[in-house]
Amino acid sequence: MKPENSILPKNTVAYVFLLLMAFFVVFPMLIAVSQSFMTNQEVNRWPPQIIPVEPTMDSINAVLTQQDLRLDLWLRNSLIAATGYTFAVLVLCAPAAYAFARLKFPGNNILFGFLLVTIMIPPQVTLIPNYLLMRDLQWLDTFNALIFPGAANVFGVFLLRQFFIQIPADLEEAAVLDGAGYFGRFWHVVLPLSRNALVALGIFVFLGHYNDLFWPFIVTNSLETRTLPVGLAILNSSYAGQYRPMVLSGAVLSTIPILIVYVIFQRQIIKGITLTGMGGR
Amino acid sequence: MAHNTAMADGFEKPKRRGNLPINLKTREAIAAYLFLAPFMIFFLVFVVRAVISAVQLSFYNWLILPPTADYIGMDNYMELFNDSVWWESLKNTIIFTSLTVVGTTVVALAAAVAVTRPIRGAGFFRVLLYVPSLFSVGAVGLIWVWLLNTQFGIINYGLSFLGIKAINWLGDPNLVIPALSLTTIWWGFGFPMLIFIAGLQGIPETLYEAARIDGANDRQIFFNITLPLLRPTILFVTVTGVISHFQVYGQPFIMTNGGPGRSSYTVILYLYEIAWTAFRMGYGAAVAVAIAGIMAIITTFQFLFISRRVEY
Repeated sequence: MKPENSILPKNTVAYVFLLLMAFFVVFPMLIAVSQSFMTNQEVNRWPPQIIPVEPTMDSINAVLTQQDLRLDLWLRNSLIAATGYTFAVLVLCAPAAYAFARLKFPGNNILFGFLLVTIMIPPQVTLIPNYLLMRDLQWLDTFNALIFPGAANVFGVFLLRQFFIQIPADLEEAAVLDGAGYFGRFWHVVLPLSRNALVALGIFVFLGHYNDLFWPFIVTNSLETRTLPVGLAILNSSYAGQYRPMVLSGAVLSTIPILIVYVIFQRQIIKGITLTGMGGR
Repeated sequence: MAHNTAMADGFEKPKRRGNLPINLKTREAIAAYLFLAPFMIFFLVFVVRAVISAVQLSFYNWLILPPTADYIGMDNYMELFNDSVWWESLKNTIIFTSLTVVGTTVVALAAAVAVTRPIRGAGFFRVLLYVPSLFSVGAVGLIWVWLLNTQFGIINYGLSFLGIKAINWLGDPNLVIPALSLTTIWWGFGFPMLIFIAGLQGIPETLYEAARIDGANDRQIFFNITLPLLRPTILFVTVTGVISHFQVYGQPFIMTNGGPGRSSYTVILYLYEIAWTAFRMGYGAAVAVAIAGIMAIITTFQFLFISRRVEY
Protein backbone atom coordinates (compact mmCIF):
# COMPACT_ATOMS: atom_id res chain seq x y z
CA MET A 1 0.00 0.00 0.00
CA LYS A 2 2.77 2.40 0.89
CA PRO A 3 4.41 2.65 -2.56
CA GLU A 4 0.98 3.34 -4.11
CA ASN A 5 0.52 6.28 -1.78
CA SER A 6 3.94 7.72 -2.44
CA ILE A 7 3.55 7.49 -6.22
CA LEU A 8 0.16 9.11 -6.44
CA PRO A 9 0.96 12.58 -5.01
CA LYS A 10 4.24 12.68 -6.97
CA ASN A 11 2.45 12.19 -10.24
CA THR A 12 -0.20 14.69 -9.24
CA VAL A 13 2.51 17.33 -8.82
CA ALA A 14 3.92 16.39 -12.24
CA TYR A 15 0.46 16.56 -13.74
CA VAL A 16 -0.36 19.97 -12.30
CA PHE A 17 3.01 21.26 -13.45
CA LEU A 18 2.45 19.93 -16.98
CA LEU A 19 -0.97 21.55 -17.14
CA LEU A 20 0.58 24.88 -16.10
CA MET A 21 3.30 24.44 -18.74
CA ALA A 22 0.69 23.59 -21.35
CA PHE A 23 -1.17 26.78 -20.43
CA PHE A 24 2.07 28.81 -20.65
CA VAL A 25 2.73 27.35 -24.10
CA VAL A 26 -0.76 27.40 -25.57
CA PHE A 27 -2.27 30.60 -24.18
CA PRO A 28 -0.10 33.04 -26.21
CA MET A 29 -0.97 31.15 -29.40
CA LEU A 30 -4.68 31.07 -28.64
CA ILE A 31 -4.71 34.80 -27.90
CA ALA A 32 -2.97 35.48 -31.21
CA VAL A 33 -5.45 33.30 -33.12
CA SER A 34 -8.43 34.74 -31.30
CA GLN A 35 -7.38 38.36 -31.78
CA SER A 36 -6.77 37.73 -35.48
CA PHE A 37 -10.55 37.51 -35.78
CA MET A 38 -11.13 40.86 -34.03
CA THR A 39 -11.48 44.38 -35.26
CA ASN A 40 -8.86 46.97 -34.47
CA GLN A 41 -11.12 48.64 -31.91
CA GLU A 42 -11.81 45.36 -30.17
CA VAL A 43 -8.09 44.59 -29.80
CA ASN A 44 -7.25 48.04 -28.45
CA ARG A 45 -9.51 47.81 -25.47
CA TRP A 46 -9.17 47.38 -21.71
CA PRO A 47 -9.76 44.84 -20.32
CA PRO A 48 -8.31 42.84 -23.25
CA GLN A 49 -10.85 40.70 -25.09
CA ILE A 50 -10.08 36.98 -25.04
CA ILE A 51 -12.83 35.82 -27.38
CA PRO A 52 -14.06 37.90 -30.33
CA VAL A 53 -17.66 39.07 -29.84
CA GLU A 54 -18.32 39.24 -33.56
CA PRO A 55 -15.60 37.22 -35.33
CA THR A 56 -14.46 38.91 -38.53
CA MET A 57 -12.13 37.84 -41.33
CA ASP A 58 -11.28 41.47 -42.16
CA SER A 59 -7.72 41.51 -40.86
CA ILE A 60 -6.91 38.10 -42.36
CA ASN A 61 -8.21 39.35 -45.72
CA ALA A 62 -6.29 42.58 -45.32
CA VAL A 63 -2.97 40.91 -44.59
CA LEU A 64 -3.42 38.75 -47.70
CA THR A 65 -4.43 41.56 -50.04
CA GLN A 66 -2.42 44.66 -49.06
CA GLN A 67 -0.27 45.93 -51.92
CA ASP A 68 2.87 46.17 -49.83
CA LEU A 69 2.54 42.66 -48.35
CA ARG A 70 3.04 39.44 -50.31
CA LEU A 71 2.50 36.59 -47.87
CA ASP A 72 1.84 34.18 -50.75
CA LEU A 73 5.15 34.96 -52.47
CA TRP A 74 7.06 35.01 -49.19
CA LEU A 75 5.69 31.61 -48.26
CA ARG A 76 6.58 30.25 -51.71
CA ASN A 77 10.10 31.71 -51.45
CA SER A 78 10.58 30.26 -47.98
CA LEU A 79 9.42 26.82 -49.07
CA ILE A 80 11.58 26.77 -52.21
CA ALA A 81 14.65 28.07 -50.39
CA ALA A 82 14.26 25.73 -47.41
CA THR A 83 13.61 22.71 -49.65
CA GLY A 84 16.55 23.53 -51.91
CA TYR A 85 18.78 24.09 -48.91
CA THR A 86 17.71 20.79 -47.32
CA PHE A 87 18.55 18.86 -50.50
CA ALA A 88 21.86 20.65 -50.85
CA VAL A 89 22.81 19.77 -47.26
CA LEU A 90 21.88 16.11 -47.67
CA VAL A 91 23.63 15.78 -51.04
CA LEU A 92 26.84 17.32 -49.68
CA CYS A 93 26.85 15.84 -46.18
CA ALA A 94 25.84 12.22 -46.74
CA PRO A 95 28.76 11.21 -49.02
CA ALA A 96 31.24 13.11 -46.84
CA ALA A 97 29.88 11.42 -43.72
CA TYR A 98 30.16 8.04 -45.48
CA ALA A 99 33.82 8.65 -46.25
CA PHE A 100 34.55 9.63 -42.65
CA ALA A 101 32.59 6.70 -41.21
CA ARG A 102 33.53 3.85 -43.52
CA LEU A 103 36.56 4.53 -45.67
CA LYS A 104 40.24 4.47 -44.78
CA PHE A 105 42.20 7.34 -46.25
CA PRO A 106 45.20 9.38 -45.17
CA GLY A 107 44.08 12.34 -43.05
CA ASN A 108 40.68 10.96 -42.06
CA ASN A 109 40.98 11.80 -38.36
CA ILE A 110 42.82 15.08 -38.85
CA LEU A 111 40.26 16.34 -41.35
CA PHE A 112 37.31 15.30 -39.22
CA GLY A 113 38.86 16.88 -36.12
CA PHE A 114 39.38 20.08 -38.08
CA LEU A 115 35.71 20.10 -39.13
CA LEU A 116 34.63 19.61 -35.51
CA VAL A 117 36.72 22.56 -34.37
CA THR A 118 35.03 24.78 -36.96
CA ILE A 119 31.65 24.04 -35.36
CA MET A 120 32.88 26.40 -32.63
CA ILE A 121 33.22 29.26 -35.11
CA PRO A 122 30.02 31.29 -35.00
CA PRO A 123 28.50 31.82 -38.44
CA GLN A 124 28.55 35.60 -37.96
CA VAL A 125 32.25 35.72 -38.84
CA THR A 126 31.41 34.49 -42.30
CA LEU A 127 28.51 36.93 -42.88
CA ILE A 128 30.42 39.87 -44.34
CA PRO A 129 32.76 37.91 -46.67
CA ASN A 130 29.89 35.70 -47.86
CA TYR A 131 27.65 38.71 -48.40
CA LEU A 132 30.39 40.34 -50.49
CA LEU A 133 30.79 37.11 -52.46
CA MET A 134 27.03 37.01 -53.14
CA ARG A 135 27.21 40.59 -54.35
CA ASP A 136 30.18 39.84 -56.63
CA LEU A 137 28.51 36.74 -58.05
CA GLN A 138 25.33 38.80 -58.53
CA TRP A 139 23.46 36.30 -56.42
CA LEU A 140 21.72 38.89 -54.26
CA ASP A 141 17.93 38.57 -54.54
CA THR A 142 18.26 35.01 -55.91
CA PHE A 143 17.62 31.59 -54.43
CA ASN A 144 21.32 30.76 -54.89
CA ALA A 145 22.16 33.16 -52.08
CA LEU A 146 19.59 31.54 -49.80
CA ILE A 147 20.60 27.96 -50.60
CA PHE A 148 24.35 27.57 -51.14
CA PRO A 149 26.37 29.56 -48.58
CA GLY A 150 25.22 27.46 -45.62
CA ALA A 151 25.04 24.13 -47.44
CA ALA A 152 28.35 22.75 -46.12
CA ASN A 153 26.75 21.91 -42.79
CA VAL A 154 29.40 20.41 -40.52
CA PHE A 155 26.78 19.41 -37.99
CA GLY A 156 25.07 17.31 -40.67
CA VAL A 157 28.29 15.45 -41.45
CA PHE A 158 28.85 14.83 -37.76
CA LEU A 159 25.32 13.50 -37.20
CA LEU A 160 25.30 11.22 -40.23
CA ARG A 161 28.79 9.91 -39.51
CA GLN A 162 27.66 8.85 -36.04
CA PHE A 163 24.76 7.03 -37.62
CA PHE A 164 26.72 5.37 -40.45
CA ILE A 165 29.31 4.01 -37.99
CA GLN A 166 26.61 2.00 -36.23
CA ILE A 167 25.57 0.12 -39.36
CA PRO A 168 27.04 -3.42 -39.19
CA ALA A 169 29.97 -3.90 -41.58
CA ASP A 170 28.68 -7.35 -42.63
CA LEU A 171 25.89 -5.74 -44.62
CA GLU A 172 28.37 -3.82 -46.72
CA GLU A 173 30.62 -6.87 -47.13
CA ALA A 174 27.68 -8.79 -48.56
CA ALA A 175 27.30 -6.07 -51.16
CA VAL A 176 31.02 -6.22 -51.94
CA LEU A 177 30.70 -9.93 -52.69
CA ASP A 178 27.88 -9.04 -55.07
CA GLY A 179 30.35 -6.83 -56.89
CA ALA A 180 29.23 -3.44 -55.58
CA GLY A 181 31.78 -0.61 -55.72
CA TYR A 182 32.09 2.13 -53.11
CA PHE A 183 29.24 4.14 -54.55
CA GLY A 184 27.02 1.06 -54.81
CA ARG A 185 27.60 0.25 -51.16
CA PHE A 186 26.84 3.82 -50.15
CA TRP A 187 23.77 4.13 -52.35
CA HIS A 188 22.20 0.67 -52.04
CA VAL A 189 23.24 -0.40 -48.53
CA VAL A 190 24.08 2.52 -46.24
CA LEU A 191 21.58 5.14 -47.44
CA PRO A 192 18.46 2.93 -47.34
CA LEU A 193 19.38 1.82 -43.81
CA SER A 194 19.80 5.44 -42.73
CA ARG A 195 16.42 6.75 -43.74
CA ASN A 196 15.50 7.78 -40.19
CA ALA A 197 18.70 9.74 -39.70
CA LEU A 198 18.37 11.41 -43.12
CA VAL A 199 14.76 12.36 -42.45
CA ALA A 200 15.60 13.70 -38.98
CA LEU A 201 18.51 15.77 -40.29
CA GLY A 202 16.40 16.94 -43.23
CA ILE A 203 13.60 18.12 -40.96
CA PHE A 204 15.94 20.05 -38.62
CA VAL A 205 17.77 21.64 -41.47
CA PHE A 206 14.49 22.57 -43.16
CA LEU A 207 12.99 24.10 -40.02
CA GLY A 208 16.16 25.97 -39.16
CA HIS A 209 16.37 27.49 -42.62
CA TYR A 210 12.65 28.22 -42.86
CA ASN A 211 12.87 30.26 -39.66
CA ASP A 212 16.12 32.07 -40.39
CA LEU A 213 15.93 35.85 -40.39
CA PHE A 214 19.36 37.50 -40.56
CA TRP A 215 20.83 36.07 -43.76
CA PRO A 216 17.66 36.32 -45.89
CA PHE A 217 17.24 39.85 -44.58
CA ILE A 218 20.63 40.98 -45.88
CA VAL A 219 20.68 39.09 -49.20
CA THR A 220 17.18 39.99 -50.36
CA ASN A 221 16.04 43.50 -51.16
CA SER A 222 12.80 43.55 -53.09
CA LEU A 223 9.28 42.80 -51.94
CA GLU A 224 9.06 39.78 -54.25
CA THR A 225 12.24 38.03 -53.09
CA ARG A 226 11.77 38.24 -49.32
CA THR A 227 11.17 35.14 -47.22
CA LEU A 228 8.41 34.71 -44.65
CA PRO A 229 10.36 35.66 -41.48
CA VAL A 230 11.69 38.79 -43.20
CA GLY A 231 8.18 39.54 -44.43
CA LEU A 232 6.84 39.30 -40.89
CA ALA A 233 9.40 41.84 -39.73
CA ILE A 234 8.23 44.15 -42.53
CA LEU A 235 4.58 43.53 -41.65
CA ASN A 236 5.30 44.41 -38.04
CA SER A 237 7.17 47.61 -38.78
CA SER A 238 4.53 48.90 -41.21
CA TYR A 239 1.29 47.84 -39.51
CA ALA A 240 1.82 47.24 -35.78
CA GLY A 241 1.11 50.85 -34.92
CA GLN A 242 -2.14 51.25 -36.83
CA TYR A 243 -3.65 47.81 -37.28
CA ARG A 244 -2.65 45.19 -34.72
CA PRO A 245 -5.02 42.34 -35.73
CA MET A 246 -3.40 42.29 -39.18
CA VAL A 247 0.02 41.75 -37.63
CA LEU A 248 -1.32 38.92 -35.48
CA SER A 249 -3.09 37.34 -38.49
CA GLY A 250 0.19 37.42 -40.39
CA ALA A 251 2.01 35.71 -37.51
CA VAL A 252 -0.71 33.05 -37.23
CA LEU A 253 -0.94 32.40 -40.99
CA SER A 254 2.84 32.09 -41.28
CA THR A 255 2.95 29.26 -38.73
CA ILE A 256 0.22 27.15 -40.36
CA PRO A 257 2.53 25.49 -42.93
CA ILE A 258 5.06 24.57 -40.28
CA LEU A 259 2.35 23.19 -38.01
CA ILE A 260 1.16 20.98 -40.87
CA VAL A 261 4.71 19.66 -41.30
CA TYR A 262 4.83 19.05 -37.57
CA VAL A 263 1.55 17.17 -37.47
CA ILE A 264 2.78 14.89 -40.27
CA PHE A 265 6.35 14.36 -39.03
CA GLN A 266 5.72 14.84 -35.32
CA ARG A 267 6.97 11.38 -34.37
CA GLN A 268 10.14 11.64 -36.46
CA ILE A 269 10.91 15.10 -35.08
CA ILE A 270 10.47 14.14 -31.43
CA LYS A 271 12.20 10.79 -31.89
CA GLY A 272 14.95 12.25 -34.04
CA ILE A 273 15.96 14.78 -31.41
CA THR A 274 15.50 12.38 -28.51
CA LEU A 275 17.51 9.59 -30.13
CA THR A 276 20.33 11.53 -31.68
CA GLY A 277 20.47 14.03 -28.86
CA MET A 278 20.99 16.85 -31.29
CA GLY A 279 19.15 19.39 -33.38
CA GLY A 280 20.02 22.09 -35.83
CA ARG A 281 19.15 25.46 -34.47
CA MET B 1 39.47 -22.96 -47.86
CA ALA B 2 41.14 -24.47 -50.85
CA HIS B 3 38.17 -23.50 -52.94
CA ASN B 4 38.48 -19.91 -51.77
CA THR B 5 42.12 -19.53 -52.66
CA ALA B 6 41.45 -21.10 -56.02
CA MET B 7 38.71 -18.52 -56.59
CA ALA B 8 40.98 -15.70 -55.54
CA ASP B 9 43.74 -16.96 -57.81
CA GLY B 10 41.40 -17.44 -60.68
CA PHE B 11 39.72 -14.04 -60.41
CA GLU B 12 42.32 -11.70 -59.04
CA LYS B 13 45.10 -12.30 -61.52
CA PRO B 14 43.32 -11.59 -64.78
CA LYS B 15 41.63 -8.59 -63.12
CA ARG B 16 44.97 -7.11 -62.07
CA ARG B 17 46.21 -7.38 -65.60
CA GLY B 18 43.16 -5.60 -67.01
CA ASN B 19 43.00 -2.76 -64.46
CA LEU B 20 45.34 0.08 -63.64
CA PRO B 21 48.12 -1.15 -61.37
CA ILE B 22 46.83 0.47 -58.18
CA ASN B 23 46.15 -1.44 -54.99
CA LEU B 24 42.99 -1.58 -52.95
CA LYS B 25 44.22 0.92 -50.35
CA THR B 26 44.82 3.61 -52.93
CA ARG B 27 41.50 2.93 -54.61
CA GLU B 28 39.71 3.31 -51.28
CA ALA B 29 41.50 6.59 -50.60
CA ILE B 30 40.61 7.93 -54.05
CA ALA B 31 36.98 6.92 -53.51
CA ALA B 32 37.01 8.66 -50.12
CA TYR B 33 38.34 11.91 -51.58
CA LEU B 34 35.69 11.81 -54.30
CA PHE B 35 32.99 11.34 -51.67
CA LEU B 36 34.41 14.27 -49.72
CA ALA B 37 35.05 16.60 -52.63
CA PRO B 38 31.60 18.26 -53.04
CA PHE B 39 31.30 19.01 -49.34
CA MET B 40 34.89 20.20 -49.05
CA ILE B 41 34.56 22.56 -52.01
CA PHE B 42 31.57 24.29 -50.42
CA PHE B 43 33.24 24.21 -47.03
CA LEU B 44 36.42 25.80 -48.35
CA VAL B 45 34.58 28.56 -50.22
CA PHE B 46 31.89 29.50 -47.71
CA VAL B 47 33.58 28.74 -44.39
CA VAL B 48 37.39 28.61 -44.62
CA ARG B 49 37.77 31.36 -47.20
CA ALA B 50 35.14 33.46 -45.43
CA VAL B 51 36.81 33.22 -42.02
CA ILE B 52 40.24 34.06 -43.44
CA SER B 53 38.77 36.92 -45.42
CA ALA B 54 36.96 38.28 -42.36
CA VAL B 55 40.16 38.31 -40.32
CA GLN B 56 42.00 39.98 -43.19
CA LEU B 57 39.25 42.54 -43.72
CA SER B 58 39.31 43.48 -40.05
CA PHE B 59 42.70 45.16 -40.61
CA TYR B 60 41.35 47.43 -43.32
CA ASN B 61 39.23 50.53 -43.53
CA TRP B 62 36.71 49.95 -46.28
CA LEU B 63 33.27 51.46 -46.92
CA ILE B 64 32.08 48.82 -49.43
CA LEU B 65 31.93 51.09 -52.52
CA PRO B 66 35.57 52.16 -53.13
CA PRO B 67 37.48 49.50 -55.06
CA THR B 68 40.49 49.72 -52.73
CA ALA B 69 40.74 49.45 -48.99
CA ASP B 70 43.31 51.09 -46.71
CA TYR B 71 45.41 48.89 -44.47
CA ILE B 72 45.12 50.31 -40.97
CA GLY B 73 46.60 47.53 -38.82
CA MET B 74 44.98 47.19 -35.43
CA ASP B 75 43.05 50.47 -35.66
CA ASN B 76 39.65 48.77 -35.99
CA TYR B 77 40.31 46.76 -32.86
CA MET B 78 41.53 49.86 -31.02
CA GLU B 79 38.37 51.68 -32.05
CA LEU B 80 36.28 48.73 -30.89
CA PHE B 81 38.06 48.72 -27.55
CA ASN B 82 37.10 52.36 -27.00
CA ASP B 83 33.60 52.01 -28.45
CA SER B 84 31.01 52.52 -25.70
CA VAL B 85 28.15 51.22 -27.86
CA TRP B 86 30.02 47.95 -28.39
CA TRP B 87 30.58 47.49 -24.65
CA GLU B 88 26.97 48.29 -23.86
CA SER B 89 25.67 45.84 -26.45
CA LEU B 90 28.12 43.22 -25.18
CA LYS B 91 26.88 43.75 -21.62
CA ASN B 92 23.24 43.44 -22.76
CA THR B 93 24.05 40.29 -24.74
CA ILE B 94 25.80 38.66 -21.78
CA ILE B 95 22.90 39.48 -19.42
CA PHE B 96 20.36 38.22 -21.94
CA THR B 97 22.34 35.04 -22.60
CA SER B 98 22.79 34.27 -18.88
CA LEU B 99 19.12 34.82 -18.03
CA THR B 100 17.91 32.88 -21.03
CA VAL B 101 20.26 29.91 -20.69
CA VAL B 102 19.58 29.51 -16.96
CA GLY B 103 15.82 29.97 -17.40
CA THR B 104 15.62 27.66 -20.40
CA THR B 105 17.67 24.95 -18.71
CA VAL B 106 15.57 25.03 -15.52
CA VAL B 107 12.22 25.07 -17.35
CA ALA B 108 13.34 22.39 -19.82
CA LEU B 109 14.68 20.11 -17.08
CA ALA B 110 11.52 20.48 -14.97
CA ALA B 111 9.32 19.77 -17.99
CA ALA B 112 11.46 16.77 -18.95
CA VAL B 113 11.27 15.31 -15.44
CA ALA B 114 7.49 15.79 -15.35
CA VAL B 115 6.96 14.35 -18.80
CA THR B 116 9.02 11.20 -18.15
CA ARG B 117 6.78 10.26 -15.20
CA PRO B 118 4.51 7.32 -15.95
CA ILE B 119 1.40 9.46 -16.38
CA ARG B 120 -1.38 9.44 -18.92
CA GLY B 121 -0.90 11.81 -21.81
CA ALA B 122 2.87 12.16 -21.31
CA GLY B 123 3.43 11.68 -25.05
CA PHE B 124 0.84 14.33 -25.84
CA PHE B 125 2.51 16.86 -23.51
CA ARG B 126 5.85 16.14 -25.14
CA VAL B 127 4.46 16.93 -28.57
CA LEU B 128 2.55 19.99 -27.34
CA LEU B 129 5.38 21.59 -25.37
CA TYR B 130 7.67 21.45 -28.40
CA VAL B 131 5.28 23.47 -30.60
CA PRO B 132 6.67 26.98 -29.85
CA SER B 133 10.12 25.83 -31.02
CA LEU B 134 8.70 25.46 -34.52
CA PHE B 135 7.74 29.13 -34.78
CA SER B 136 9.89 31.60 -36.64
CA VAL B 137 11.36 34.40 -34.61
CA GLY B 138 9.12 36.71 -36.63
CA ALA B 139 5.93 35.04 -35.44
CA VAL B 140 7.22 34.80 -31.86
CA GLY B 141 8.16 38.46 -31.83
CA LEU B 142 4.85 39.62 -33.29
CA ILE B 143 2.84 37.59 -30.78
CA TRP B 144 4.88 38.47 -27.70
CA VAL B 145 5.31 42.17 -28.39
CA TRP B 146 1.53 42.38 -28.10
CA LEU B 147 1.27 40.13 -25.01
CA LEU B 148 3.81 42.41 -23.33
CA ASN B 149 2.06 45.62 -24.41
CA THR B 150 1.71 48.07 -21.53
CA GLN B 151 -1.80 49.33 -22.27
CA PHE B 152 -3.64 46.36 -23.74
CA GLY B 153 -1.36 43.38 -23.10
CA ILE B 154 -2.67 40.13 -21.66
CA ILE B 155 0.29 39.80 -19.29
CA ASN B 156 -0.47 43.10 -17.58
CA TYR B 157 -4.14 42.11 -17.55
CA GLY B 158 -3.26 38.89 -15.69
CA LEU B 159 -1.05 40.82 -13.26
CA SER B 160 -3.85 43.33 -12.60
CA PHE B 161 -5.74 40.58 -10.77
CA LEU B 162 -2.80 40.39 -8.36
CA GLY B 163 -3.06 44.13 -7.83
CA ILE B 164 0.03 44.90 -9.92
CA LYS B 165 -0.16 48.12 -11.94
CA ALA B 166 0.57 48.18 -15.67
CA ILE B 167 4.25 47.41 -16.28
CA ASN B 168 6.07 48.90 -19.26
CA TRP B 169 7.89 45.66 -20.09
CA LEU B 170 9.57 46.64 -23.32
CA GLY B 171 9.91 50.35 -22.51
CA ASP B 172 11.72 50.06 -19.18
CA PRO B 173 15.53 49.79 -19.54
CA ASN B 174 15.66 47.42 -16.56
CA LEU B 175 12.86 45.14 -17.67
CA VAL B 176 13.35 44.92 -21.41
CA ILE B 177 16.03 42.20 -21.31
CA PRO B 178 14.15 39.99 -18.80
CA ALA B 179 11.04 40.41 -21.00
CA LEU B 180 12.99 39.35 -24.11
CA SER B 181 14.41 36.45 -22.10
CA LEU B 182 10.95 35.28 -21.07
CA THR B 183 9.88 35.41 -24.71
CA THR B 184 12.93 33.40 -25.71
CA ILE B 185 12.41 30.79 -22.97
CA TRP B 186 8.85 30.27 -24.23
CA TRP B 187 10.17 29.93 -27.76
CA GLY B 188 13.21 27.76 -27.12
CA PHE B 189 12.77 25.42 -24.14
CA GLY B 190 11.33 22.58 -26.27
CA PHE B 191 14.64 21.51 -27.78
CA PRO B 192 16.59 21.19 -24.49
CA MET B 193 13.50 19.52 -23.00
CA LEU B 194 13.77 16.74 -25.58
CA ILE B 195 17.51 16.44 -24.97
CA PHE B 196 16.87 16.12 -21.23
CA ILE B 197 14.22 13.46 -21.87
CA ALA B 198 16.83 11.45 -23.75
CA GLY B 199 19.29 11.96 -20.90
CA LEU B 200 16.76 10.93 -18.26
CA GLN B 201 15.84 7.81 -20.19
CA GLY B 202 19.51 6.87 -20.27
CA ILE B 203 19.72 6.61 -16.48
CA PRO B 204 19.26 2.95 -15.47
CA GLU B 205 16.09 2.31 -13.47
CA THR B 206 18.04 0.04 -11.09
CA LEU B 207 19.88 3.05 -9.64
CA TYR B 208 16.57 4.62 -8.58
CA GLU B 209 15.35 1.33 -7.13
CA ALA B 210 18.55 0.85 -5.14
CA ALA B 211 18.29 4.39 -3.77
CA ARG B 212 14.67 3.86 -2.78
CA ILE B 213 15.56 0.64 -0.96
CA ASP B 214 18.20 2.64 0.92
CA GLY B 215 15.41 4.98 2.00
CA ALA B 216 16.25 8.02 -0.16
CA ASN B 217 13.39 10.46 -0.79
CA ASP B 218 12.56 12.09 -4.13
CA ARG B 219 14.59 15.19 -3.47
CA GLN B 220 17.66 13.19 -2.47
CA ILE B 221 17.27 10.98 -5.53
CA PHE B 222 17.02 14.01 -7.82
CA PHE B 223 20.05 15.82 -6.39
CA ASN B 224 22.27 12.77 -5.74
CA ILE B 225 21.46 10.54 -8.70
CA THR B 226 19.58 12.31 -11.47
CA LEU B 227 21.49 15.59 -11.50
CA PRO B 228 25.05 14.17 -11.34
CA LEU B 229 24.28 11.63 -14.05
CA LEU B 230 22.78 14.36 -16.23
CA ARG B 231 25.97 16.48 -16.16
CA PRO B 232 27.03 15.62 -19.73
CA THR B 233 23.51 16.50 -20.92
CA ILE B 234 23.52 19.74 -18.93
CA LEU B 235 26.90 20.57 -20.44
CA PHE B 236 25.56 19.99 -23.94
CA VAL B 237 22.39 22.03 -23.30
CA THR B 238 24.18 24.99 -21.72
CA VAL B 239 26.99 25.11 -24.28
CA THR B 240 24.63 24.97 -27.26
CA GLY B 241 22.34 27.42 -25.42
CA VAL B 242 25.12 29.96 -24.88
CA ILE B 243 26.23 29.66 -28.50
CA SER B 244 22.73 30.16 -29.89
CA HIS B 245 21.50 32.85 -27.47
CA PHE B 246 24.68 34.90 -27.69
CA GLN B 247 23.74 35.36 -31.35
CA VAL B 248 20.37 36.82 -30.39
CA TYR B 249 19.13 39.18 -33.05
CA GLY B 250 15.54 38.63 -34.16
CA GLN B 251 13.77 39.23 -30.83
CA PRO B 252 15.26 42.68 -30.13
CA PHE B 253 15.22 43.54 -33.84
CA ILE B 254 11.48 42.92 -34.11
CA MET B 255 10.22 43.67 -30.61
CA THR B 256 12.27 46.65 -29.44
CA ASN B 257 14.65 47.65 -32.22
CA GLY B 258 17.34 47.58 -29.54
CA GLY B 259 15.53 50.10 -27.37
CA PRO B 260 14.55 51.86 -25.24
CA GLY B 261 17.69 53.83 -26.02
CA ARG B 262 20.22 51.04 -26.41
CA SER B 263 18.96 48.95 -23.49
CA SER B 264 18.31 45.84 -25.58
CA TYR B 265 20.95 46.45 -28.23
CA THR B 266 22.90 43.21 -28.79
CA VAL B 267 26.25 42.51 -30.45
CA ILE B 268 24.66 41.07 -33.58
CA LEU B 269 22.36 44.08 -33.93
CA TYR B 270 25.49 46.19 -33.65
CA LEU B 271 27.25 44.11 -36.30
CA TYR B 272 24.24 44.62 -38.55
CA GLU B 273 24.29 48.38 -38.02
CA ILE B 274 28.03 48.71 -38.67
CA ALA B 275 28.12 46.49 -41.76
CA TRP B 276 24.72 47.01 -43.39
CA THR B 277 23.57 50.49 -42.46
CA ALA B 278 26.93 52.25 -42.07
CA PHE B 279 28.57 49.90 -44.63
CA ARG B 280 31.83 49.91 -42.69
CA MET B 281 32.89 46.43 -43.78
CA GLY B 282 36.37 46.50 -42.22
CA TYR B 283 35.12 47.61 -38.83
CA GLY B 284 32.19 45.18 -39.12
CA ALA B 285 34.65 42.34 -39.73
CA ALA B 286 36.51 43.37 -36.57
CA VAL B 287 33.22 43.28 -34.64
CA ALA B 288 32.48 39.80 -36.04
CA VAL B 289 35.94 38.48 -35.18
CA ALA B 290 35.60 39.88 -31.64
CA ILE B 291 32.20 38.19 -31.23
CA ALA B 292 33.68 34.89 -32.40
CA GLY B 293 36.63 35.23 -30.03
CA ILE B 294 34.41 35.97 -27.04
CA MET B 295 32.16 33.00 -27.82
CA ALA B 296 35.14 30.68 -28.14
CA ILE B 297 36.48 31.85 -24.76
CA ILE B 298 33.10 31.43 -23.03
CA THR B 299 32.53 27.91 -24.37
CA THR B 300 36.07 26.83 -23.46
CA PHE B 301 35.51 28.01 -19.88
CA GLN B 302 32.19 26.19 -19.74
CA PHE B 303 33.86 22.96 -20.79
CA LEU B 304 36.63 23.37 -18.24
CA PHE B 305 34.24 24.30 -15.44
CA ILE B 306 31.72 21.53 -15.96
CA SER B 307 34.20 18.78 -16.84
CA ARG B 308 36.15 19.51 -13.64
CA ARG B 309 33.02 19.08 -11.58
CA VAL B 310 32.22 15.81 -13.34
CA GLU B 311 35.62 14.40 -12.30
CA TYR B 312 34.93 15.44 -8.75
